[in-house]
Amino acid sequence: MKKVMIGNHAVSWGVLRSRVEVISAYPITPQTQIVEALSDMVADGSLPARYIKVESEHSAMAACIGASVTGTRTFTATSSQGLALMHEMLHWAAGGRHPVVMANVNRAMAPGWNIWTDQNDSLSQRDTGWIQLYCETNQEVFDTTIQAFKLAETVDLPVMLLLDAFFLSHTSEPVDVTDQADVDRFLSRREAAYKMDTKDPHAFGALVRPDVYTEIRWQQQEAMDEARDVFRRVEDDWEAITGRRYGAVEAYRTEDADLLLVTSGTITSTARHVVDERRAGGDKVGLIKVKMFRPFPTDELRALLGGVDRVAVLDRNISPGHGGIFAEEIRSALYDVPPEDRPILFGYVLGLGGRDVTPVVIDDIIENTRTKARPEREDLWVGVEL
Amino acid sequence: MSQTIIKQHIPRDDLLTSGHLACPGCAAPIAMNLVLKALGPETMVVLPACCWSIIAGPWPQSSLRVPLYHTAFETAAAVASGIKAGLQSRGDTETTVIAWAGDGGTFDIGLQALSGAAERNEDFIYFCYDNEAYMNTGIQRSSATPWGAWTTTTPTSDPEHQPKKDIMAIMAAHRIPYAATASVAYPVDLVQKVEKARTIRGTRFIHILAPCPPGWKTQNDETIDLARMAVERRIFPLLEVENGGDWRFTVDHPGGPVEPYLRRQARFGHLSDEQVEHIQREVNARWKILSNRVKYGT
Amino acid sequence: MSERDVTRPRESGRQIPPVAISETSTLVNQTGSWKYIMPRYQDGVAPCNAGCPVGIDIEGYMYLIGRGRLQDAADLLVRENPMPAVTGRVCHHPCEDSCNRASMDEAVAIHSVERRLGDMILAAPPPPAPERTRTETVAVIGSGPAGLSCACFLARFGYGVTVFEAAPEAGGMLRLGIPEYRLPRAILDRQIERIEAEGIEIRISTCIGTDVPWAVLNGFGAVFVAPGAHMGKDSRIEGAEGLPEIRPGLDFLKEVNAGGRPDLGDHVIVVGGGNTAMDCARSALRLGADATVLYRRTPREMPAIPQEARETKEEGVEFEFLATPTAVELEDGEFVGITCQRMELGPPDDSGRRRPVPIEGDVFSMKADTVLTAIGEDCDLSFLPDEVRTNWGLVEVEALGESTSAPVFAGGDAVDMPRSVADALGAGKRAAIGIDHFLRQKAGEDVGEVPLDDLRFAGGNVSAMRYAKDEDPIPREAPVNDVVTWDQMNPHHYRSAPRHEDHFHAGIDLRSAFGETNFGLSRKEAIEEAERCLNCGVCNRCELCLIFCPDMAISRREDGGFEIDMRYCKGCGLCAAECPRGAIVMTREGI
Repeated sequence: MKKVMIGNHAVSWGVLRSRVEVISAYPITPQTQIVEALSDMVADGSLPARYIKVESEHSAMAACIGASVTGTRTFTATSSQGLALMHEMLHWAAGGRHPVVMANVNRAMAPGWNIWTDQNDSLSQRDTGWIQLYCETNQEVFDTTIQAFKLAETVDLPVMLLLDAFFLSHTSEPVDVTDQADVDRFLSRREAAYKMDTKDPHAFGALVRPDVYTEIRWQQQEAMDEARDVFRRVEDDWEAITGRRYGAVEAYRTEDADLLLVTSGTITSTARHVVDERRAGGDKVGLIKVKMFRPFPTDELRALLGGVDRVAVLDRNISPGHGGIFAEEIRSALYDVPPEDRPILFGYVLGLGGRDVTPVVIDDIIENTRTKARPEREDLWVGVEL
Repeated sequence: MSQTIIKQHIPRDDLLTSGHLACPGCAAPIAMNLVLKALGPETMVVLPACCWSIIAGPWPQSSLRVPLYHTAFETAAAVASGIKAGLQSRGDTETTVIAWAGDGGTFDIGLQALSGAAERNEDFIYFCYDNEAYMNTGIQRSSATPWGAWTTTTPTSDPEHQPKKDIMAIMAAHRIPYAATASVAYPVDLVQKVEKARTIRGTRFIHILAPCPPGWKTQNDETIDLARMAVERRIFPLLEVENGGDWRFTVDHPGGPVEPYLRRQARFGHLSDEQVEHIQREVNARWKILSNRVKYGT
Repeated sequence: MSERDVTRPRESGRQIPPVAISETSTLVNQTGSWKYIMPRYQDGVAPCNAGCPVGIDIEGYMYLIGRGRLQDAADLLVRENPMPAVTGRVCHHPCEDSCNRASMDEAVAIHSVERRLGDMILAAPPPPAPERTRTETVAVIGSGPAGLSCACFLARFGYGVTVFEAAPEAGGMLRLGIPEYRLPRAILDRQIERIEAEGIEIRISTCIGTDVPWAVLNGFGAVFVAPGAHMGKDSRIEGAEGLPEIRPGLDFLKEVNAGGRPDLGDHVIVVGGGNTAMDCARSALRLGADATVLYRRTPREMPAIPQEARETKEEGVEFEFLATPTAVELEDGEFVGITCQRMELGPPDDSGRRRPVPIEGDVFSMKADTVLTAIGEDCDLSFLPDEVRTNWGLVEVEALGESTSAPVFAGGDAVDMPRSVADALGAGKRAAIGIDHFLRQKAGEDVGEVPLDDLRFAGGNVSAMRYAKDEDPIPREAPVNDVVTWDQMNPHHYRSAPRHEDHFHAGIDLRSAFGETNFGLSRKEAIEEAERCLNCGVCNRCELCLIFCPDMAISRREDGGFEIDMRYCKGCGLCAAECPRGAIVMTREGI
């Protein structure tokens, strides 16, 4: 059933279809519509979930973890400051192997207050052990929400799905809302391997000494490794039902390209448009969309970027003291590619705090990448006017 | 019998095993054992950072015969809310969920989550076992540390400035259905309060005084006597408050000077006579306030 | 691939799970290794038991009453005290002076409970007589408390016993010296009948040395000499000799207690401060006279039982302290009174009491119709053979009453001070044990030494039950023979409750009746009083130790006792500190 809806509501519909059992959330712009719609769904009985209206995001994640450890399917949503506040508990969810799913609306970090989009909030959490999936369209948001539960519950790791503030969260697009019966065939009731049970009492999370902690983290890493294949299979299953798949990484018109753009989030849509225009003019430019940031798609990116002349990574984020984060991680992935196959990589930092990334900007970036011999610095900031 | 025999009021089965790592003479396992006896095996425990995180035993051990979730310091009430919601969503409305936190995790860092849960009237019992400082990390002050006490962050040259936070008034202000204080020296009163709390739905809060030999600088075998003296001398009165307004005392409090109670704890060893008198006046004043609450409600 | 490749995960067999989920309990930690001191269940002796000259497990029978086992309590009592109906009335109850409860509120009224049990025993049919298992017969001289006690225990040990009593009725000082209003004749008679029924022959009106020569006693296996002290000391009042108005108090009491009602005139002076003096004064009242007690020291030094002195005063007897009679006063040859010397207290004498010293020139007169002297009694030991050595008018004996001449034992007022019914009963029991041991040794049995210290209730008198190795009706945990003092108890677990006081006859004209005035307690009150007993030193399985153990190291044994698992006990000492009755000790032994 096709409906026109904002990105936030695509999340809500995804949560509804996934038969989430416990929701625990705290409001923050621009996430609020997610939880408001869910409140309505819970109130009118269409979603028979428990909804805990917690008093902070830290408590939201804590409550999700609590619900998760009883073996139920849990969900929360947040953004920016809220995500940052949750930080301690993000580690807890991942280290505790709780398959919580969270929608994070990518919003810039304060100060100064900024409600528009960039990716620093989620990328600051990249070391917490959460799977991160960046979405480009509302349809993808809906699909990814449901897939996230299946992925999370298969590898027992929490999954964060990302959507850009306002560009997706508040922008209406048509979404094919898959029928409940179809979703039920794809995603069944959660049956947890480890849970709190008075008939089989255990303690969870007690003191772990140095001689054991590494092995627990190793197994968490193994689960992350496994997540790549599991995601592939999850997409296979979803494609079989809906005909749609996205891939951890998507290659768009890259076959004979000598210059590749690398983007994530809504910049991707704009970049597609620019690539089409350039191709129409004979320019052999292509686009790589990175959807899965954690686990990092090292092999796919090496395969796609190795041997290409030039690569322009568009980062809507910055790690102060280093550079754009996607650029840094891609450079690091390309280190072990044979030197002759290593592209010259330009890392562009742009769109921070919601500054619009227009086709002109992307076009200028392509020009810059083509014409400069090498990048002058690790992070090339676009459009700074002091 | 000149002795009131109480064993028939204390359930027989232990839900706690020996071999736990509490210091000798610690009140915390006494409290936990009594509480779990009163609640029975259909109980789940949420345990934030506190002495009990260690007492419970390191992985792969657990000294509890009921499920236990170790969680981050400030999250006991939030995790408990989540666990209860999870159980309810799968049709289990009977398992009792409890949070078991120290004074630090209740009065200080955990107060937000506790207040939030209480305001929502989440259905669990929150137990605070209060040894009046951050004992697990080495005796640092908390807002439960009484005025004048030595701790490692309130040295004898500049001991604790603030009076103990009135957590019961805070919980009463949330109008939760049931809140109470208890002492390990009054096991029947404690068990009865827990059994009563178990039958009530909504947020229930029980504040248990738990003397700590290394932190209070007392002998290992004085714990029960101190917990008794604190009640008798009105320093830690035993009471209940229902729906935030109905206060009542649950035992007799004969009164008596606080000085002997203070002087046997080396954490108060530096107090001058004037300071002891100050404490006595404060205890008397607070007793009056509590008596008024009992008489007139809030 | 090199064996030393550190980056290859190795199978160690540890099987670490993906999350820190528990696999065992903490029982794998034997935290008992932390302790430097450890608890031990150890029952001790209650101070009342240790303070009783008879050697009664008082705490034991209180324990049994507390559990509704009144008959068992009575059996336990009479097993150690052959005449509880008597002692419950006349004993000076040092047990109550030792009672730990006095440190909390008031001592348990042990005497009232004993009396109730004693009366209950007398009201019930007598038990069957003990079996005669020994061939020997023992002779007992004197049927006072010491003689009857010794006889009774010997009968229970299986011996034949013949008691020789010089007076026409048995009882000794109980009959002759203690007035009816303190010890009704009916009670005394029934009590003596009970003792006789244990297989004892009492030959009344048979005085050794006069009616029967000492040599007759050589036909017995052993002899217990308990003639008592019946000769009132000479008052040495100048001019008293020959005067009928000045009589030894004991003679007067013998007359009254035998039923006589002599006319003493209007005013009687009683000289002395002991129980005999009190008895004389109160008897005088009942014969219609006023009485004044004249005592040479102050009330604090009076040897009379304080309760007796109090009752004497309450009945209206006057007291004149720090005075002693020196001479009679005559008017026209008629006795009108005595001259008295005022005294003051000087430095202490051998007894530890301050010596009275006359105040030079301070004399005064007191009018009287009769003067009764009760300043102490001497013994008539003329009938004893020389081999039985005496010292200062008392028979010399060892711990179990052994005299200096082998088969002869002695006890009671003829042997030592202090003189009391209880001490006499206790001496009789000790001698019975001594005689049994002596006779068995003589019969060639391998008996070793009498373990005297083990038989005693801590520092108190011996227990016949311990000697006979009877089964203890009270379960005791590793008992030691030490008194449990108040500082070892924890008073917080006890409720305060006032002591029941005896009921006294109200409103009768004392002056006309020798009937019993103290009615003791009702059955309900006596049980309540027994329930006030703290059961010092004896575990009553209240389980406070289990409740307060932080390590759940204490568990219940099948037989009802408790066991401490030393693998987990950290030695905190809370069990010992909280035990209400000091039945757990902390020790370094065995660490």
